[in-house]
Amino acid sequence: MAAIMEQTASELRRQVEGRQRVIRAERIQIIGWQVLILLVVIGFWEWATRVPWFVEHTIMDPFFVSRPSAIVARIYDWTLGTKRGYLWPHLASTLWATFLGLVVGVATGFAVGLILSQNRRLARILNPYVIALNSVPRIALVPLITMIFGLGVGSKVVTAWFMVFFLVFFNTFKGGQSIERELVDFCRTLGGTPRQITRTVRVPNALAWAFTALPNAVSFALIGVVISEFVGSTTGMGYLMITSLATLNSTDMFASVVVLSAVGVALVTLIRRAERRLLRWAPEFR
Amino acid sequence: MIEVEAASKVYVTAAREIWAVRDISLSVGGGEFVSIVGPSGCGKSTLLNMIAGFEAPTAGEIRVAGARVAGQIPGGLGYIFQKDTVLPWYTVRQNIALGLRYRGRPASLINEKVGTLATLAGLEGFEELYPHELSGGMRRRLALVMTLACDPTILLLDEPFGALDTHTKTLLHMELLEIRRRTRQTIVLVTHDLGEAVTLSDRVIVLSRPPSRILMDQSIDFPEPRDVFSLRETEAYAHYYQAIWKVLGQEFRAAGMTR
Repeated sequence: MAAIMEQTASELRRQVEGRQRVIRAERIQIIGWQVLILLVVIGFWEWATRVPWFVEHTIMDPFFVSRPSAIVARIYDWTLGTKRGYLWPHLASTLWATFLGLVVGVATGFAVGLILSQNRRLARILNPYVIALNSVPRIALVPLITMIFGLGVGSKVVTAWFMVFFLVFFNTFKGGQSIERELVDFCRTLGGTPRQITRTVRVPNALAWAFTALPNAVSFALIGVVISEFVGSTTGMGYLMITSLATLNSTDMFASVVVLSAVGVALVTLIRRAERRLLRWAPEFR
Repeated sequence: MIEVEAASKVYVTAAREIWAVRDISLSVGGGEFVSIVGPSGCGKSTLLNMIAGFEAPTAGEIRVAGARVAGQIPGGLGYIFQKDTVLPWYTVRQNIALGLRYRGRPASLINEKVGTLATLAGLEGFEELYPHELSGGMRRRLALVMTLACDPTILLLDEPFGALDTHTKTLLHMELLEIRRRTRQTIVLVTHDLGEAVTLSDRVIVLSRPPSRILMDQSIDFPEPRDVFSLRETEAYAHYYQAIWKVLGQEFRAAGMTR
């Protein structure tokens, strides 16, 4: 009897381990395919731009699409190579404006969202204006913003702010309104003054909702800054791209795009991590 | 302790008016445990909310401990909702401490009391967890001790055990009776579970369909201390249950028809 049970136990163990191996193998396979696809695309890009037939008959002309090795070499030149340090002021300028726009946008969006969510009358009065402002196409205002705030960091921050504000505002507003009456009443019976309840109930609740908008807010802020740099600026990643257009230099342009994408991914990842830490009390982040 | 005098409540919308409660008068003595039962949608919760000062009666008057309730929560009043009202962003410890923090009690006293209450609620060792990591029964007990931390003399319970499974419910019944034996709060329990009402209370009040009136006011007399399990086997329990069900059952059926 004991022997049979022991055998069954070891058989079970083996089956569990076998299943785990299959799961691990599957994960590796998927990553393998993803890497393969990337390599094929880059490999084709590199190869086709060196084959005369492709260069003459398709879009794969290095004048237009550059080529991966040239792009990597350009990024190297800009950072550590012949034009050492050329990239940093532009990248720093874009990042700084993004950061400022994000901070101002999130802070104002959160504050206005929280206030309006707690004040139904004010929210109803301002409702048509909020909707009207929100339906203005953001990009249409960038030239105007540039005219008013000039070619410096001001226009970039204002554009980023305008992109971020409504996103955070609407999330906070919805979250602030969704708070349950029972939760507030319960805290009142515990002796909470309106001010204490704002601090311990309304603000944390609204913050949680505002946080969920952050990853998108980062992307939006970055987009806003780059568009503003397109329209008029003297530094920044957007400025690099627009000058590469003026000089018809596709390698410069692709190099800028690659750097900007990497920065975007890094920022969003960073924010998601921070979010997971700050919202560790919420079940969806477990 | 609690006096309700000819209280009525009308909800007015642009299109119509809804009478939740009409001309209800009742009084609950100090230390008494009164249950209010009635079909769903009757003014049970409205009545409780008016006693708590969350809502003002349209007509009539409510007094708690001799003072008129006027848009303000009476002192020493605790309220447990059916909904989960623990704060998800605070740990068990921070939740228990909330009422004491609101009252500005010193940290040493808060720590001591939180320890005692965590033990009372069977939440020792869970103090640093967040509510979503607890079971439904544990969250209920957490809400209860959050209230008990403020030493309420009156407890209003709005279907507090409604969403729980039978076993958890029965255990919480026992704990509630035990707590009450020690501290003698005045308790008003709103429930749609007649068994729960008979088991726990000294008096059961039956409300009608809206606009709600009092149909029956039955006092319940069991030898104390009550044993939640064996009580249900006694003849007295069956007697009370049937007597009240005669009235309540009719209301339930009538309420069902109009739906």
